[in-house]
Amino acid sequence: MSKDVSLMAHLMRRAGFGATRNELEGYLSDGYEATVDNLLDPGESGHMPDDIIRRYHVDQSELRQLDGAGAYWLYRMLTTSNPLEEKLALFWHGLFATGYAKLNQARSLLNQIDMFRHYGFGSFRDLLVELSKDPAMILWLDNNENHKEAINENYGRELLELFSMGIGNYSEDDIKECAKAFTGWTLGNAEYMSVRASKDSIWPYGRIAWHYEYRADDHDGGEKRFLGEVGNFNGEDIVDIIVTQEATARFLSTRLFQYFASDEVDSNGELVISEMMEAYFQSEYKVSAVLRSLFNSGYFKSDKCMYSRVKGPVESVVGTVRLAGTYQEPTLDVHALWAQTMFMGQGLLAPPTVEGWHEGVEWIDSGSLVERINFAAKELSDPTKDGVKDIIRRVTSSQKDLSDPEKLVDSCLDYMGPIQVEADTREGLIEFAESQGAVQTQDGQPDESGSLQVARLIGMIASTREYQLA
Amino acid sequence: MVNTNTLSIRYLKTIGIVNNGFNGRGFANPYDVAFGPNEEIFVLNRCDPARRSAIRVGVCNLDEEYLYEFGYGFGNEDGQMTLPVAMAFDAEGRLLITDEHTNRVNIYSNKGDVIGKWGTKGDSEGEFNGPAGIAVDSTGLVYVCDQRNHRIQKYTPEGKFLSQWGIRGSGQSEFNLPWGIGVDISDNVYVADWRNDRVQKFDSGGQYLETIGDSGEGRLNRPSGVSVDKNGNIYVTDWGNERLQVFDSSGKAILSMRGEATLSDWAKDFFESNPDEMETREISNLNPGIPNHLNTPYHVSSQTESYFWGPVSVRIDNNNRLYVVESNRHRIQIYEIE
Repeated sequence: MSKDVSLMAHLMRRAGFGATRNELEGYLSDGYEATVDNLLDPGESGHMPDDIIRRYHVDQSELRQLDGAGAYWLYRMLTTSNPLEEKLALFWHGLFATGYAKLNQARSLLNQIDMFRHYGFGSFRDLLVELSKDPAMILWLDNNENHKEAINENYGRELLELFSMGIGNYSEDDIKECAKAFTGWTLGNAEYMSVRASKDSIWPYGRIAWHYEYRADDHDGGEKRFLGEVGNFNGEDIVDIIVTQEATARFLSTRLFQYFASDEVDSNGELVISEMMEAYFQSEYKVSAVLRSLFNSGYFKSDKCMYSRVKGPVESVVGTVRLAGTYQEPTLDVHALWAQTMFMGQGLLAPPTVEGWHEGVEWIDSGSLVERINFAAKELSDPTKDGVKDIIRRVTSSQKDLSDPEKLVDSCLDYMGPIQVEADTREGLIEFAESQGAVQTQDGQPDESGSLQVARLIGMIASTREYQLA
Repeated sequence: MVNTNTLSIRYLKTIGIVNNGFNGRGFANPYDVAFGPNEEIFVLNRCDPARRSAIRVGVCNLDEEYLYEFGYGFGNEDGQMTLPVAMAFDAEGRLLITDEHTNRVNIYSNKGDVIGKWGTKGDSEGEFNGPAGIAVDSTGLVYVCDQRNHRIQKYTPEGKFLSQWGIRGSGQSEFNLPWGIGVDISDNVYVADWRNDRVQKFDSGGQYLETIGDSGEGRLNRPSGVSVDKNGNIYVTDWGNERLQVFDSSGKAILSMRGEATLSDWAKDFFESNPDEMETREISNLNPGIPNHLNTPYHVSSQTESYFWGPVSVRIDNNNRLYVVESNRHRIQIYEIE
């Protein structure tokens, strides 16, 4: 297995949802650093067109309900030509977790995801300002109830604790002053929209999507003292102060490191995070610069970093489907696919709380593990699927002797990733390949039964512990 | 009232309310409308996945009386539907409904009895790949947009294949996923050539006549439905632009409308029972300014309740009333053509 291929596959597992061998060959011809640059600044991404989706799926045109909205986002992840755009949007969705359960407004949640696409690579300052204006966030954290005469600190508190600096880096007074600065940042028609959301009302004519509105008459324009600075701060001034804090640089860099590099941060990881913080300040808070620093670091490219993260459920589902080459056109089955992410513990647009999901090994429990294995094995053991066909074709054309189970296993591992497995896992796979007997061929190529044999081995690899790691 | 030199259109009323259940008054992602005996209005409810077992036709009248409904559930058994698209009454008064998933035309009586069906998946004569729009001409002949075969098929009233025209492409007589179809009083055929962003006009034999709405004022964006009034004016549900676009008989754009829905009687009933919603609604601005990054027709319509949102079909009844069916708003806006 080529080291270049292995490294590129690692990058794409982290900066995307994995890659087919065909995709890897394209990235390899560009080279590693150019691929990182392209991922971070891709221009317009290709994906299944909205009009095609909306014509077929009435629910994904109206986007009234959670399942349709989740499925709509899945289509984007499954077909995008720029997987990092979606992967990063998924990161922000977990960090700035906003959920359907309280809002009952799927369209506005997807508008928030669009905002993440638009601002997610750029200045963290701009992103936080847009987040503060985001209608779904405003209702999720009650900023529509944050009034000049009676503040509601919910958004102010979470902005500091969960979204930018982390606990221990500000005082209770800072929270209050922050909340005051965001008074008047509300929804258009806030009263009507709040009543509808609280009653889950869709009447008379479905949902009315939300929009941001600034009410100057409800804004506290008085003097405020925030993180040691004094002024008649409005919300944007507060964000300007937040992004200059070292705690913010550390918070953002650490969260990006844990999501894209490793669940655990060791001393080597701390050094990388320091470099990421430096990139943050040098670039004037650009997220793309922080990510570039990470992806180009020696730590990220090291063997230690590889397979050090548990795939999240959405990563797992999307990566498997992209490898299988399915769902490239609208299909009624996409709702079941969205449901899979729920069964595995990560319902898109439905994070459990504002803290998002607990990631890493906490993704795995006995129930969700069974769902993962069953899903991946079923999806990838079908020799009629285009992606599986391609793996079989590559495996069988690269192996002269299809009766050698060791070579067959190694070749399947190679073209499915490459995927590195522990020695005992490899032994188990070889035993399985042996139990199936030599791959049946006709004129040197696998016949229908032979293709099924290889596909079953591919499905078995998708059932391994290592397949669940990124 | 909207006037041009040759045409006046007056908003009449809105019928509809979202139906979140499995039967009864209201609509669930309506996709087409047809006009039966006794001025009955037949509404095809495509239904979202959560309500797919309730795929049905609801029947009401202009006075907003909900009269009856019929449906046989989601599936491909006789009478069932999976992804219904369009419907039309044939010369015998039977209701023909296309289903783009089962690749059939289902036939019902106007009371909902299952009479028959035709079609199967394929690309040969008489086969379908995603049948969409359907129209019946003055002689009873039936035209169907065969969406993913990118062609129009013509049938006898009994469903016997007669002829076809069109292949995939963007030239004359070529199509890209055609959706709606209509005929004028001379039995010329108009096709909403959806992904070519235009309407193509043919004679009843499929001979190309002209292209409408492919450039300049009134340029179409993913047209979904097309109907023609007795004076030859052409009405197009311009789905991608979330508007109704009107052309005169020469194909010149003469009018563009975003919609002006008001509360239906059913909606008023809802607010009578939910005064807290009405009170807060009354102090709201339901025609708000939209932030720049959401300034697309789709987003604007999603936030502006009175505008067309998801206009999927336009039909004209025998009294020169125009019906615009809005899938995303679960209602029909009705206008009078004068």
